[in-house]
Amino acid sequence: MMNKCIITKLLCGIFAFACLSLSVQAAPWNQLTGEQLEQQLAEKFAQGKYSKKGADSCLMCHKKNDKVMAIFDGVHGNSSQADSPMAGLQCEACHGPLGKHNKGGKEPMIAFGKESKLPAQSQNSVCLGCHNDPKQMAWHSSSHNLDEVACSDCHNIHTDKDPVMDQLTVNDTCTSCHTQQKSDMNKRSSHPMKWDRMTCIDCHNPHGSMSESALNHTTVNDTCYSCHTEKRGPVLWEHAPVTENCANCHNPHGSVNEAMLTHRAPQLCQQCHMDDGHASRVVQQGGSDAFGGGKSCLNCHSQIHGSNHPAGSKLQR
Amino acid sequence: MRFKFNLITLSLLAISGAITGSAMAADFGVNRANTSTVKQEVFQCKHCPQVEGYTGTIGINAAYIESDDIHSGNAFGTDSDGGNASMDADLNYRNEAGYKAKFQAHRLGLDNGFAHLEAGKSGQYELVADYQQLTSYQSGDARSQLWYNDGVLTPSEHTQTQELSLQRNKAGLGLSYGRDFYQAYVRYDHENKTGYQSSSIVTPRPVNFGLPVDANTDNLTAGLSLSGDSWTTDLNYFVSQYKNDIGALSLPYLYDVFAPTPDNEAHQLSLSGQYQLNRTVMSGRLASGKMIQDDDLIQMSGNPLQNWDGEVETLDGKLSVTSLVSNKFRLGGSVDYSKRDNKGSVWEFAQYEVNGITGAFKQNVPLDTERRGLKVNASYRFNSDYRLQAGYDRKEMERSHGDREQTNDDVLWAKLNVRALDDIKLKFKASLDNRGGSEYQTSELTSSEANPLLRKYYLADRARTAFEAKFNHTPTSWLSLDMTARYAKDDYDETQLGLTESEDYGYDINLGLQLDEHLSGYAFAGQQWIESNQTGSQSFSAPDWSADIEDEFINLGAGFTYTGLMEDKLSLGGDYLFANSTSDTLITYDVTTPQGDYYSFNHSLKLHANYALSEEMALKLAYQYERYYDTDYAQIDVDTVPGLTTLGDLNHNYNAHQVMLSFSYQLR
Repeated sequence: MMNKCIITKLLCGIFAFACLSLSVQAAPWNQLTGEQLEQQLAEKFAQGKYSKKGADSCLMCHKKNDKVMAIFDGVHGNSSQADSPMAGLQCEACHGPLGKHNKGGKEPMIAFGKESKLPAQSQNSVCLGCHNDPKQMAWHSSSHNLDEVACSDCHNIHTDKDPVMDQLTVNDTCTSCHTQQKSDMNKRSSHPMKWDRMTCIDCHNPHGSMSESALNHTTVNDTCYSCHTEKRGPVLWEHAPVTENCANCHNPHGSVNEAMLTHRAPQLCQQCHMDDGHASRVVQQGGSDAFGGGKSCLNCHSQIHGSNHPAGSKLQR
Repeated sequence: MRFKFNLITLSLLAISGAITGSAMAADFGVNRANTSTVKQEVFQCKHCPQVEGYTGTIGINAAYIESDDIHSGNAFGTDSDGGNASMDADLNYRNEAGYKAKFQAHRLGLDNGFAHLEAGKSGQYELVADYQQLTSYQSGDARSQLWYNDGVLTPSEHTQTQELSLQRNKAGLGLSYGRDFYQAYVRYDHENKTGYQSSSIVTPRPVNFGLPVDANTDNLTAGLSLSGDSWTTDLNYFVSQYKNDIGALSLPYLYDVFAPTPDNEAHQLSLSGQYQLNRTVMSGRLASGKMIQDDDLIQMSGNPLQNWDGEVETLDGKLSVTSLVSNKFRLGGSVDYSKRDNKGSVWEFAQYEVNGITGAFKQNVPLDTERRGLKVNASYRFNSDYRLQAGYDRKEMERSHGDREQTNDDVLWAKLNVRALDDIKLKFKASLDNRGGSEYQTSELTSSEANPLLRKYYLADRARTAFEAKFNHTPTSWLSLDMTARYAKDDYDETQLGLTESEDYGYDINLGLQLDEHLSGYAFAGQQWIESNQTGSQSFSAPDWSADIEDEFINLGAGFTYTGLMEDKLSLGGDYLFANSTSDTLITYDVTTPQGDYYSFNHSLKLHANYALSEEMALKLAYQYERYYDTDYAQIDVDTVPGLTTLGDLNHNYNAHQVMLSFSYQLR
């Protein structure tokens, strides 16, 4: 009896899956290549044959789809907001003119997301039609745009809450592609990213910026100073690699060393300091003397980021 | 050379392909829509649900923590052993008139929690308020005989236990107001940072101690943005002030031995803009800034100043252009400039150490840097299956008083995206990076005693080769598999002393499953190895010792969510994470000596059950287990090494548990 029940469920499952596959394949535009689809949609867009009744025309068929209806939970479905698409051309503001789509469903509409064959730059042109504001100023030259990342790869607007707009979930979206950084945040030392107390967008702008690595601030150091203001200085006695770039010694995404250092002391220090004195000294047993034990070089040179003591040229005080 | 040739050939092919003409890329922006026949006044939305009023959830959490190490507070959000309570909220409000508000709170009441409020009228004005408490715990049992009180580190007779942790309390308020073509905004943030952090003082013996931290930072940013049909611009002013409430530290027998971090302030004015001409977009920014530090200096003989006039002027600029020549071909490029000009004056200060040039006096050396960058890139889509990107980046860096006045980095890179196979996406990336520059010479000002064979790794000649391959497979709608492999090698081929080479390679695999409507899961695994080699010379001549540093990182994780149990009332979930960081160092000086253990591992397990009491109310029971272990051979007892006083063994080894019961109420 049990087995029969399972087999029945399995057969039903296969049938349902087959129907689903058929229904997906049934869309005539699924056979088109991305370029053919783009061309057909461009012609349709130019013709501008919009529906007579707006959203109601669309919902005649799509109102039973929860995903479609979820648009009304968010700002893009809020007709009381003057700049919302729902206050303008409604569904067709983003999905393009209806044309003959509702007559047998033979004409494609502009579609978004992973299933869409439409090239990312054409999908994105829809979003940029409204969101071409100063916040997206560097989008066109950004690595995400050059890599043809679609807005909908990260953003979801058919929802009450776009996960990428939430401090508690934005890191998941970024690390779904940036897997190296996902690992890095679990290393021995890292910024508190894995607990979502800091987010990728605290430092980087996914829409691009005029700074390297799409940083929110002008330089790498300015980005670090935005939280570590005490390091900004300037101080009387500067440490050249610190002044030049914090990333000379630290990996801000995480490290197997303490303090996100690329290497630990004394080895890290000895990659630059090889004087005719104690800096050249080989430290054969880490914990056996003051050169390798405790804070190693920083036992004495504790003001490693620079000192403001008049007698602090050795960064000791 | 062959590589360069191939790139050039491909670029030429790409350009010729583009010129032979393909259609311009489509622009479906609503502002381009042909609305000549639209009768928007008869548009209807009778079927559209109108969401008005308050929606979202509000919840309270009661938790019990069992832990004997405050370090577990990093994972649990608080170090307090025993019971605690906190609040969560995720609320939205909107009405017919276009007013909207959003409030989010997470673990409010704990040492790590935040609240965020946005309210306003869309397209007109918005008010944003933020509050965040952020605490990081290093150790609860640092042992020290030095106690801070009012600028003096007082030695106590007995060693006492001290907590090393830092807490930030941040609050911010922002307001923006705008209409069709302009937006003005202002935001103010304040942060107070307190606690103790590990530091060290020379008495003249080195003594590690807990450095008190009590500082305030105020940031203000204000600006005006303007936009037109094909352009946008933004003028922004930023000012930041850092005030340290901890002054110079003294010992009862040694006055002002440790300088405090001085107060500082920074200003920046920036103008940025974008202009679009058909499918060509130009964007640029010019930013001029100042960093000022004129805090009082410690007064001592041999210090000619009351306070130093520290001032760094910065100038940063960038101009970039990208053009979608056709829907297949894109060309882009940028130039950038960044200058740090330290205007601080130069004086002679008495030092405790005697150097060979000026005896006991030394001049401060204000450091200037100037950076110029150039980037060009092209991408060509052969068809929907193949897309190639390639580019050349150059970075020139000039620095004053450095061992090398100028360095330049030249990078050639290429990326290939392949979608020729069903449900499979492949991405390949390769880059060749070469760093060279002016003659490397020991600067008299900065390192008069350095071994002439030394090449500092951030200045040295370096050849970097890097590859990355990504594989994404989605065989069915319920399964996705991502695999990435990476390899990079840094070869410091001109270095005899210093970092000579470094290899960094690894992989990661991510699996996502949506087994049915109710059951979803994920699993991931990754490993990374970084192997470096450096040499040293004790004899101040040729290399006579070396260090091999072998880093390894392992990361594993899996989780599931099961919904729809007990007539959709119950859902279950679980997440497991394992991370292991290891760094082994082998020192070779006549014989090879391995350094001791330097590794950490962490098992983290989270389980939760959500039960819907009614349509509005729900209970959540969550359990979190943290197993954390770290060890570092340099961590030694307070007085293990004669002449050195440490804070004791700060390694961690604990099992910690948290049980949390949450009640949430949903507003509809």
